[in-house]
Amino acid sequence: MVCPISGSFASIMAALPSTLVSPTRDFVENSKVLVVGAGGIGCELLKNLVLTNFKYIEVIDLDTIDVSNLNRQFLFQKQHVGKSKAQVAKESALRFNPDCNIIAYHDSITNPDYGVNFFKKFTLVLNALDNRAARNHVNRMCLAADVPLVESGTAGYLGQVTVIKKGLTECYECEPKPPQKTYPGCTIRNTPSEPIHCIVWAKYLFNQLFGEEDADQDVSPDTEDPELAGEAGERAVQQEAGENAIGGGIQRTSTRAWAVSTGYDAAKLFHKLFHDDVKYLLSMEKLWQKRRPPTPLDWNNLPEENGTAETDSNTRIQDQQLWSIRRCAAVFRDSIEQLKEQLAARGDGAELVWDKDDEASMDFVTCAANIRAHIFGIPTKTRFDIKSMAGNIIPAIATTNAVIAGLIVMEALKILSGNINKCKTVFLNRQPNPRKKLLVPCKLVPPNPKCYVCSAKPEVSVQLNINTVTVKTLEDKIIKGQFGMVAPDVEIDDGKGTILISSEEGETEANNSKHLSEFGIRSGSRLRADDFLQNYELVINVIHVDQLEEDKEFEVVGQMPEPGPQPDTPQPSTSTNGPTEPQPGTSKDVEEEDLMIIEDEEEDKAPSSKATTGVKRKTSDSSDQPVTKKVRTAAAEVAEEDDIIPL
Amino acid sequence: MADGGENGAISEAEAALYDRQIRLWGLDAQRRLRASSVLIAGLKGLGAEVAKNIVLSGVKAVTLLDHQQVTEEDFSSQFLVSRADLGKNRAEASQERTQNLNPNVKVTADTEDVKDKPNEFFTKFNVVCLTCCSQQTLRRVGHVCHDNGVKFYAGNVHGYCGYMFADLGEHDYVEEKPKIVKADKEKGEEDKEGPAGKKAKVDTTETVMVKKTASYCRWQESQTVDWTSDASSKAMKRTPQMYFIMKVLLRFREDHGRDPAVSSREEDKVALLRLRDDVLTEMKLKTDLVGDEFASQCFAALSPVCAVVGGVLAQEIVKAVSGKDAPLNNFFFFNGTDDSGMVDCIGKS
Ligand SMILES: [Zn+2]
Repeated sequence: MVCPISGSFASIMAALPSTLVSPTRDFVENSKVLVVGAGGIGCELLKNLVLTNFKYIEVIDLDTIDVSNLNRQFLFQKQHVGKSKAQVAKESALRFNPDCNIIAYHDSITNPDYGVNFFKKFTLVLNALDNRAARNHVNRMCLAADVPLVESGTAGYLGQVTVIKKGLTECYECEPKPPQKTYPGCTIRNTPSEPIHCIVWAKYLFNQLFGEEDADQDVSPDTEDPELAGEAGERAVQQEAGENAIGGGIQRTSTRAWAVSTGYDAAKLFHKLFHDDVKYLLSMEKLWQKRRPPTPLDWNNLPEENGTAETDSNTRIQDQQLWSIRRCAAVFRDSIEQLKEQLAARGDGAELVWDKDDEASMDFVTCAANIRAHIFGIPTKTRFDIKSMAGNIIPAIATTNAVIAGLIVMEALKILSGNINKCKTVFLNRQPNPRKKLLVPCKLVPPNPKCYVCSAKPEVSVQLNINTVTVKTLEDKIIKGQFGMVAPDVEIDDGKGTILISSEEGETEANNSKHLSEFGIRSGSRLRADDFLQNYELVINVIHVDQLEEDKEFEVVGQMPEPGPQPDTPQPSTSTNGPTEPQPGTSKDVEEEDLMIIEDEEEDKAPSSKATTGVKRKTSDSSDQPVTKKVRTAAAEVAEEDDIIPL
Repeated sequence: MADGGENGAISEAEAALYDRQIRLWGLDAQRRLRASSVLIAGLKGLGAEVAKNIVLSGVKAVTLLDHQQVTEEDFSSQFLVSRADLGKNRAEASQERTQNLNPNVKVTADTEDVKDKPNEFFTKFNVVCLTCCSQQTLRRVGHVCHDNGVKFYAGNVHGYCGYMFADLGEHDYVEEKPKIVKADKEKGEEDKEGPAGKKAKVDTTETVMVKKTASYCRWQESQTVDWTSDASSKAMKRTPQMYFIMKVLLRFREDHGRDPAVSSREEDKVALLRLRDDVLTEMKLKTDLVGDEFASQCFAALSPVCAVVGGVLAQEIVKAVSGKDAPLNNFFFFNGTDDSGMVDCIGKS
């Protein structure tokens, strides 16, 4: 029943009654569309497209189906768990309209196989992503291929759709997104005051013990805490610390090496982390002059309080019961045992990657975060809540995705019939605004002439310390992390074209650990970064500074967004169960489950653009302020699953 | 709103399936959803969208009621039937795919005509949602539901536009508001030796529930507004045009016993414009209140329009049965030609 690209069969199908009339109908049937993402929005979108009689559709998604997708990703059923989303979505959608041609790719859209020529095949690209990195990439590909893009996102009850066309509208990156929320190292290591601080610490601890060791994720006491300035010197502190303390910047034996040497002995790990290190922190007296000091715990004498009462435990699902400290300690022991086995099963030198959906990994972070919270007098949380925060889960529902996917097709119809000028950015609000609008259409905004992506000669300035920032940091955190390149080549604009970073594997590895100053980079130096796949070149002006606020390693100048979400903005979620709002973790927390680009689980995610973006948009009716500007805020951070939002 | 008796507790398997929505609306709301049964009358594109969304949400039971047969027109918006079902009863043809969406929900097909159903039939449900119905049926069932505490919804999609109506009677619900408590850091000092006290830090992520009530008018009251009164004529300027288009389309259905059809597009256009003049004149309104464009844009049902209206309508049903969050009162109108989606309260004096 596959429909030939042209010919008589199509004319038979034209007999099916339709709302659409020529020429729109013909434009639809002759168009080729790419759907990026087959998750929450993608499933709804595919259904709408095949029913509207789009004939040539390609869909790409890296993900496989999980049971928590089934409450909304309706093209999937229980028997499909573990299979490719793109492939199953294709098969299900074809049942709605067997006359369509659908090609499915179980792959990442950032794979170099999908270059500019691939994108040029399409009349339109429709994003149904949940993470910012993939959205950035598709944005660039569509700019390079000059194909119109319909972008979308959802978070809980809120959603948004917009249209991006090179030269005509803002691109996805014209408005800087607020950076992901991070926490100062000394708050995490020395003076946590909120549950999220303990959760971030527990995830760091997981990586220190089982995952990729990262010097930025130290979990031991930090003797360089600025609050300690003037203290009688580190030496005194060190002396008090006693033999067991390995942290504290004293001895650089790694936590991992020590843990391995004990055979991952839970009692010893517990004693070091929750007793000795805490005693060590107590010795930094300055920290506790105005704070409640932490209370070290004794493995052999644990408190039994704080758990969910018996009467309540019958009505709660297991994950919503609060664990006592004694139970946390038991889970600490059991989960370490399981993780140790997982690690061993992978052979020498293997590392585990933290995954909220892995039982032992999630158990470990729950108990470690709660034990630490207890020590610092911070309320403990249920496993359910900690999963939301640690996994950056953005709640997702079928109805919001359905509305947004419907709006995507309405914009697509306008573009195909030559009326792109009538396209709008549309926000789905939780309640109607004062002008009675539940859906708020706003005029598209012209490109930002200073955009570092879509302007004619993209150029930015970055403040950093040339003596401490390494080439590796430049590549991972700045060129890829901040500026969204996937496979960059970077050279110094010094007349000699010194190559700093090559996209060819192995060519410039030796540069990784060197500081920028070692290559002659000075304040005022210009770097040329180029991503061949994205057909994107960016000039970076380096401005040397000795130190940036809050331990930041670099700062983009002149384009910085306003600070984070505004308190009264609508948040994607709240629930009776406690904090369900996505809690920002560190940037390392961001999961990109998908392929695509939004954030979810997730929804993952976080605020992306400046909270003020909504204000800047011109509404078609000047008095409409989209209530949803927070959506973007909320969404930008993260993303895990699919349905995400934040544009 | 019974709590489901012995079935009250959510199982771990359900918790895993509904995880993402429980994180949004909470376990209590999910429990109430699971205790409710919903009637969906009219299984064209809009009915299919509502059925999909409601079954996915995890209600107890859904009854699909439709006495008509699957037509070719359904293939552009009704994804619960297959091409092979042409000519079969639409409710029966939709049952299997609806059931496959969620095995936890009891899905039943009923092939009788909604207009032949006795009043008692409707009172067995917690929610009744009518699509594709005549004014007469909407009036009658609207009254039955209003008088018996059944949440009542009506909706239709015509081409590029669609709407929904809600009558929840006197509806009690809760809204969740953040509870901000100041952390008291100073207390820590006194607590030095004590157990990790809760005093030291207060969780600012807690929320409080605020109880509210909303009251709704009947369907009939929403249809018999006197637009000549001072108050109404003022409000009319801000009333979405779609309200009047809805009245014209309902009149077309009454007069022709069907909706505007693709196969008779040109004649139906003429009839629609004439009915527009009649309906507005009867309401003592100017006939230029509604432009001519609507008459060429209201044929069959566009799938994405069904998705938008069906998404909003289903979310309203979830709100109503879960008793959580402020429901829309009482109309939602969507016009796909300009992306407008308006909420207006019409008919309540
Ligand atoms: Zn731009």
